Amino acid sequence: MDFLLTGLMQLADPWLAGVMVFGAILGVVVGAIPGAGAAVTISILLPSTFGMDPLSGMTLLLGVYCGSAYGSAIPAVLLNTPGSPVAVLTALEAKPFADRGEARRAMSLAYSSSFVGGVLAVLALMLLTKPLALIAKNFGSAEFAMLAISALVLVVVGHTGRRLEAMAALAFGLFLATVGIETAFSTQRYTFGQTWLLQGIPLVPLVIGLFAMSEALVQLTGPGGRSKEVPLAGRFFDGFLEVLKYPRTLFGSSFVGIIIGIMPGVGEFLAQQVNYVWARKLSPEGHLFGKGSPEGIIVSEATNNAVPPAALIPMLALGIPGEELTAMMLAVFLVHNVIPGPDLFINRPEFVAGLYWTLLVMNFVIIIFLMFATKWIAKAALVDKRFLGVTILTLSLIGTYASNYNFSDVGIAMFFGLLGYILRSHLWPLTPLLLGLVMGPIVEGRLRQALGGANGDLGIFVARPISAIIVGALSLLIILSVRDSLKNRKSRAAWQINES
Amino acid sequence: MVVEESEANRLESLLLNLIFAAVSAVLLGLLFVATKQGSANAGWWTRPALAPGVALALLLLANFLSLLRAVSDLRSAPATAEEWVDARAKIAGWLRPFEFLAYFAAYLWAIHVIGYVAATLAFVLWLLFRVGLRTSVWLLVGVALVAALVLIFRMGLGVWMPAPPLYDIFPDGVREILIRWF
Repeated sequence: MDFLLTGLMQLADPWLAGVMVFGAILGVVVGAIPGAGAAVTISILLPSTFGMDPLSGMTLLLGVYCGSAYGSAIPAVLLNTPGSPVAVLTALEAKPFADRGEARRAMSLAYSSSFVGGVLAVLALMLLTKPLALIAKNFGSAEFAMLAISALVLVVVGHTGRRLEAMAALAFGLFLATVGIETAFSTQRYTFGQTWLLQGIPLVPLVIGLFAMSEALVQLTGPGGRSKEVPLAGRFFDGFLEVLKYPRTLFGSSFVGIIIGIMPGVGEFLAQQVNYVWARKLSPEGHLFGKGSPEGIIVSEATNNAVPPAALIPMLALGIPGEELTAMMLAVFLVHNVIPGPDLFINRPEFVAGLYWTLLVMNFVIIIFLMFATKWIAKAALVDKRFLGVTILTLSLIGTYASNYNFSDVGIAMFFGLLGYILRSHLWPLTPLLLGLVMGPIVEGRLRQALGGANGDLGIFVARPISAIIVGALSLLIILSVRDSLKNRKSRAAWQINES
Repeated sequence: MVVEESEANRLESLLLNLIFAAVSAVLLGLLFVATKQGSANAGWWTRPALAPGVALALLLLANFLSLLRAVSDLRSAPATAEEWVDARAKIAGWLRPFEFLAYFAAYLWAIHVIGYVAATLAFVLWLLFRVGLRTSVWLLVGVALVAALVLIFRMGLGVWMPAPPLYDIFPDGVREILIRWF
């Protein structure tokens, strides 16, 4: 109880409360702008958070993360364009609502299911993280190495239809992580005598280049223009109570979203697909799915919002980021020398408790804000894509140059901006690249520790029970997904088109 | 539903796969040139070349398999004349972002010469003009964007920017203000 009260006291700090509200509102707004979104905003904000205390920095980024999950429903309903890729199902289900003049009903269904999913996931975060960290205290390097590798395997397996591309992106990220001075013998790897590469590939310019600059380039070189708006018709509060008519779908989607969110490397997409399939099968109104089903919106939004807080569970308890946004947030931890993992609860309990409460209160702030501000935020969704490109590119300079005042950082950002642009236009996933870069040193360090303790005997990974279980599960998963990929080989033309 | 991703061309993808496979093969080929041996007495798991070697082997494998898939697909269904025309246009399109990256580099250079505010204003207004947003309303929006950036990042978050030679022409008091806030 003292632990939780400590966190509540942190929230009484007006600065922290202000940062939380600002982050949440910013998240909702950027989530509502197709092409902006959490990844772009967090990558640009990342250097600014290094000057803040870790709790404020994390709160700002989490506000953007959670807020954007809510905000992405706005263009999905009003423009029939998902604000972020995870709102694709919402866009699909909301179109018939908008066509019937019930856009507000669809919106309130989305908001209320987002709220339930988000709050339940924060409660899960509060209840599960510490016990998981206590269990992890008994883990050795072999277990941590296998857990980290499982995140890498899952991120590849999760990209159904593009697994080879995901594997290449992950391997490239892992390679980039090895550039610079390695720790065992202090020798240089792939620096080619360039002093600016001695410290390795810096995370911030890479993230800004890959996620923000590439997005700006896509918008600037694209056709541009404004989307066509759907009138905000119907009664706003209709959907708020309507979600309670579908408790199985609402709570089931949230529960599955939490479970899949905890699994590193999987993310919202798979969670949504799993939920959508079972909800359609179990629902007496399953025939309505894809044709404007309230349950379809509930599944999509409850899952979307359950994943972000749940993704924090493995990061806080084990130090393993589950997806791109938590991987970016790991940088905030590292800059402030806050080491996520089992010892975090002993060393920085006030930080963890503060994080819990800000996340919980954030959901209330967002839902109240949306009740009153949807009409105005909907205008932001109509911004011209070319202007969005100009804004993002201008902001990218602040992020890259001003974080380190180093020209080579800007060069790195430009290189990854171009690479991201090319990869995006070929529908190659970017997340595995970032996860490879962030997880590379963790995996290498843990593997070296584990093998060092066993004098190089690879049997260490199957000699310890938990590690052996992970090895077995991963082997099975790899065999099954290779078999699945071979069995369901599509023609190149089919998988090149965005299947979402 | 509006999906904003473009459809890739098979020939364009083949070229990209070729480039990626070649780059990964070159990087793997450089493994023992770009890494040192380490101590001969230490275990195999401590070798500096191990981690990049494994990562690059995986990269080469994935790119090689992608390339094989692309080639086999094109052999089973050869590219049409339209696909060739489309591929040429799409490959030429790879150069389009270079134009904007060149503006970005010029923007960075300009910051060192005329200062953050003037360089940002010029960059934003030029980009808006370049992409076709040329009305007076967009001009005002551009100015407002720059004002917001200065307010948030320079004045609010105190982000430092280098003092340009241009500020030297102003009296000391004004110069101090310009360096601090603009």
